[in-house]
Amino acid sequence: MTTSEDILAVEGIGIRFGGLVAVNDVSFTVRRGEVFGLLGPNGAGKTTLFHLIAGALRPTTGRIRFEGRDVTGMRPDQRSRLGIARTFQITQPFAELTVEENVMAAALVRHRSLAEMRHAAGPYVDMVGLAHKRHELAKSLSTGQRKRLELARAMATGPRLLLLDEVTGGVDQASIPGLIDLVDRLRETGVTLILVEHNMRVIMRLSNRMMFLNRGEKLAEGTPEAISSHPDVVNLYLGQPHA
Amino acid sequence: MFAPLALQGRLAVAALVAVLLVLPLVWHDTYVLHLIILSMVFGAFAVAWNFTTGYAGLKTFGHHAFFGIGAYFSALISKNFEITPWLTTPAAGLVAAAAGLVVALPVLRIRSVPHVAMVTLGFAEIVRVLLTVFRETTRGEMGLWGIPAYDGFTIPGLGEVVFNAAEKVPYYYLAAFLFLGSVYAVVRMVKSPVGLALVAIRDSQDAAESLGINLTRYKLLAFATSAFLVGLLGAFYAHYILLLTPSSVLGLDLMILVIGMTLIGGVGTLFGPILGAFVMTIGVEAMRGIGEYRMLIYGALIVAVVMFMPRGLVALLDGLGPRFGFGRGVRMATADDAKTG
Repeated sequence: MTTSEDILAVEGIGIRFGGLVAVNDVSFTVRRGEVFGLLGPNGAGKTTLFHLIAGALRPTTGRIRFEGRDVTGMRPDQRSRLGIARTFQITQPFAELTVEENVMAAALVRHRSLAEMRHAAGPYVDMVGLAHKRHELAKSLSTGQRKRLELARAMATGPRLLLLDEVTGGVDQASIPGLIDLVDRLRETGVTLILVEHNMRVIMRLSNRMMFLNRGEKLAEGTPEAISSHPDVVNLYLGQPHA
Repeated sequence: MFAPLALQGRLAVAALVAVLLVLPLVWHDTYVLHLIILSMVFGAFAVAWNFTTGYAGLKTFGHHAFFGIGAYFSALISKNFEITPWLTTPAAGLVAAAAGLVVALPVLRIRSVPHVAMVTLGFAEIVRVLLTVFRETTRGEMGLWGIPAYDGFTIPGLGEVVFNAAEKVPYYYLAAFLFLGSVYAVVRMVKSPVGLALVAIRDSQDAAESLGINLTRYKLLAFATSAFLVGLLGAFYAHYILLLTPSSVLGLDLMILVIGMTLIGGVGTLFGPILGAFVMTIGVEAMRGIGEYRMLIYGALIVAVVMFMPRGLVALLDGLGPRFGFGRGVRMATADDAKTG
């Protein structure tokens, strides 16, 4: 049931690619200001669900409401302007632009001149710890730095809902604590977060609530503690109760 | 890339413009002026094509369609309705821009580079075949002649300005106006929020769209602007050469020439296509003495540049970039783009 506290309501969403049902009749709500984790094995439909929420894919069935407004038929750029931002599982920097210019591109919609965009981009570049890389081309960044760049870019759109797709994926172990801290700081700004994350320790640590997906279907939803002890989750994903 | 030129860079550009404007006053050889006029026309064409391909990432291989549409529209309207080419030339740009929008709409739905290339190439072929088939109006490959030249006028204190085949100087200045105007328009767009959006779209459409950038609007703007400029140049070409055939303004070899100029000069750079156009137009003419063998050298040069200097001849100016404040405005790397292109 949807309440005024909900920023996102996904109602019976589904998508099929030919004979393959990638996401089937999934419903959930996300409350304003919380961190909502999506968990599941490879091929469970987590990233497909992200694409559906961000507008990169159109659902075959169901509706998506953002702040009470039906956004099911909207393009990604329209959803972004409403306040839905995202990062990508495989980072997609604007390779030939500098770090600063990447973040300036995110400020395009809200500012008219390049000077205003540069001014607006500065705090986000600083926030993600890339100030020293400000004038370097994005293609020269490491994977961890690219993840930070995507966070800065997404935040520069002024989102109220931010979709983070495997923020620690492909990043060396030493860089993971810094990224977790960064996500913590994003949460403090008041933005609502939806996380897809394979790293159990990370998603348990960051999420207020979680949903477990398997083969495109929702199997469980609840607190991290409830999810980690759910029989289906233990059986399909964890193998043993999470400590 | 988006920073304004440093003072030294501005002075360098001003010096080049000054040389261009003073040249016909000190060098009266009509053949040389003819070559520079063609270099400016094809240089501006390459800059306009590079705007959609190098900056916006729309790999179109049918831009010669807009050159042909502009040329034939202006020639036919001015000839058949006795309207001055001074009016039909800008109108030709608008007609080409409208054609650009028509072809852009299906192109925007396609993300595959080879398919975009084939659709745009196919469009150009359709235009060429139509102009060939409608012989009663266009005279097909027999050639459309009797195209009016630009009307002369008088400049107080300087005398009468006459446009005819023997007098190249007025055409030279008109070509210079179109060339500098086209380059200025493209530079202004590239160094504006529009340029930022286009490069972002080129590097990752999905990411750009996720940041609220309207892909359709920016791509249409790039396509229409580029088609307008190329149509304008085609109209000038018609009233300069005064004889048109579908193969001369819509032949695939024209598009290959422009692509070659851009590759040799440097894709995705502001200065590269201009450099490539001047080098190729003047270089190919300088080798006229060796006949068709010059095309062998032309082809070998393209292969050599692509293999050994993928950023084009403009890479040779890398050392000058920082000194003149050109930065990536001159040498924005596109080796990766060329590889993935």
